[in-house]
Amino acid sequence: MGILDKKLSLRNRSKMLVGIWEDEDKLVEATSALVHDGVHIHDIYTPYPVHGLERIIGARRSRLARVAFFCGLTGFILMTTMIWYMYVLDWPVNVGNKPVRFTPSWIPVMFEGTVLCTAYGMGFFFFWRNRLLLGVKNDLLDDRQTDDRMVIAIECVEGMNESDVLNTMKSNGAVELRELINGVQTTI
Amino acid sequence: MGHGHHIEIKQETFVVPARAKQFSMIFMVVGLILAGIGIAKIDKSAAGHDEHAKVEVKAEGHDSHEAAKGHEEHTAAAAEEHHTEEHGNVPNENFGPRMEYHTIEHPWQTKIWANLLVAGYFFLMISLASMFWITIQYAANAGWSAAIKRIPEAMSTFIPVGFIVLLISVFIAKNDIYHWAHYEHLGLKPGQEGYDKILDGKSGFLNSTMFFVFPIVLVTIWMILGRRLRNLSVQEDNGTKGDITFHNKSIRTSAIFAVIFGFTISFLAWFFIMSVDAHWYSTIFGVYNFITHWVTAITIMALLVAYLKSLGYLKLVSNEHIHDLGKFMFAFTIFWAYIWLSQYLLIWYAQIPEEMYYYQIRFEQYKANFLTNLVMNFCLPFALLLMRSAKRNRYVLGIVGTIMILGHYHDVWFMVFPGVFGPGMQVGLLEIGVFMFFAGLFLIWTLTALTKRGLVPVNHPFIEESAHHDVGV
Repeated sequence: MGILDKKLSLRNRSKMLVGIWEDEDKLVEATSALVHDGVHIHDIYTPYPVHGLERIIGARRSRLARVAFFCGLTGFILMTTMIWYMYVLDWPVNVGNKPVRFTPSWIPVMFEGTVLCTAYGMGFFFFWRNRLLLGVKNDLLDDRQTDDRMVIAIECVEGMNESDVLNTMKSNGAVELRELINGVQTTI
Repeated sequence: MGHGHHIEIKQETFVVPARAKQFSMIFMVVGLILAGIGIAKIDKSAAGHDEHAKVEVKAEGHDSHEAAKGHEEHTAAAAEEHHTEEHGNVPNENFGPRMEYHTIEHPWQTKIWANLLVAGYFFLMISLASMFWITIQYAANAGWSAAIKRIPEAMSTFIPVGFIVLLISVFIAKNDIYHWAHYEHLGLKPGQEGYDKILDGKSGFLNSTMFFVFPIVLVTIWMILGRRLRNLSVQEDNGTKGDITFHNKSIRTSAIFAVIFGFTISFLAWFFIMSVDAHWYSTIFGVYNFITHWVTAITIMALLVAYLKSLGYLKLVSNEHIHDLGKFMFAFTIFWAYIWLSQYLLIWYAQIPEEMYYYQIRFEQYKANFLTNLVMNFCLPFALLLMRSAKRNRYVLGIVGTIMILGHYHDVWFMVFPGVFGPGMQVGLLEIGVFMFFAGLFLIWTLTALTKRGLVPVNHPFIEESAHHDVGV
């Protein structure tokens, strides 16, 4: 847990406001309203990607693409080294009198290795970062946020009018409002 | 989707800008001039004053003597030598006697016709690929592409032009371009000198009747279905909003087109391009040809979208659509390389003489072209389009797209010329001129076709979705 991005963790937060939505359109409206009011949204949890949401809350571009590139590069280097070691250094085999050094027959191995490492690497890092990896303890604000509910989490900061925020959430279709104090949720 | 701001769906009418007209005219005229210079510069002395001066062309260049020789040297003297020095090249029993060369009766005219064959085939396949692009959008129920649908529609109107150019060139120069046609023309029986078991075995499929009838029938079917799709699209425009009968009909027509096209597109590649090397075959050749033109068609589409956008048209299209077209270009660049390697690797590994000589002549006599092909069609686009920002940038797409279009044209040229003329061919003024002429024609043809109907399919059921298309941050 500690090695993950600490900023994302929901532990050790003194106080948070949590709103639950069932409708994505209302969620988007609520988010716009909150952002318009200048409320800093900690994060939004949805079971599927909701279009336009990341632009409204001003999310940065995902670093997954860069992860994919470096995983691919790793796979490429790994496989090139592997086949070079096996095929040139350790045990050269004469197959149909073909040369053993870099030949077209290496390309499938390198290609597949690159694709394999990219795919698995992306999957691994994606689940790790989202705390969905097996063995990583996840912070679910609501059990149904992976199913059919959407959750907005707002951290209470100095000078924030909590009742205003709660009202905005309520008037924009929140089906349930909770507060999270030291890891314990209570319905408001 | 429906989030965010409201986007008004308005019809747009395209007018071909005067500069585009001038540009394509200049392209065509310069192309003709260059082609003319190219024709004037061809060494016509090889064209027969007498019997002996005919150009002898070897289909296979795996002989070291041949390696050093240029095309011009394949004159009578070379032909004499050819007969005397060729004993090392005894036909292998396993593969039957192969015809080593055939006499091109009209060498310099054949160069012109072969160029027209390449140009006609290239632009025919591109327009077919754009038609296919529309049909798979329908079959896959894709929403994002609705706003740019008119561009592939306009490109697909070039099908008859490309096909006619192709047919004229093969009709006139068939016997010179294709070994099998020349062989068929000789009409040899088993046991006669020069009898070719392989060509005779293929003659049930590869004969003049099939050669013309099959493609004409296929292209006609594709054209009818394509025309129906375009008509449905216009009817939808003239209909009412929310009426999806035309859309449903389009889906059905698209499914029929896609299935027929998917099964039959290889025939064009087999007949017109693969039969240049009639002794050779590759089972993936149809796919390879398709993918070459498919990626080019998408590239041209991306460039046209960016161009229309820069003129202020296509208000519904945003950078998101251009990004997606860029992704298509990038993805199919990799797929092109994948298919290229699939063909090359198996032949390289198996090392069967019957298959080898296609790459042997191309690798040994045309190394520069061989590498150019890979660099222009894979290495450069792969490296330049890898980044997200590159795919969203019109100028990068313009530069990479131009490289790709030229590269894939060269790819088709490279499939044809070494097979027809043997070693020593070069991309010269004639090739550049012919390409420029047809590129100009294709551009003005497509732009004119765009003016014939509204630029926005306003009643397309997915137009809202397309207008709000967003690939995310």
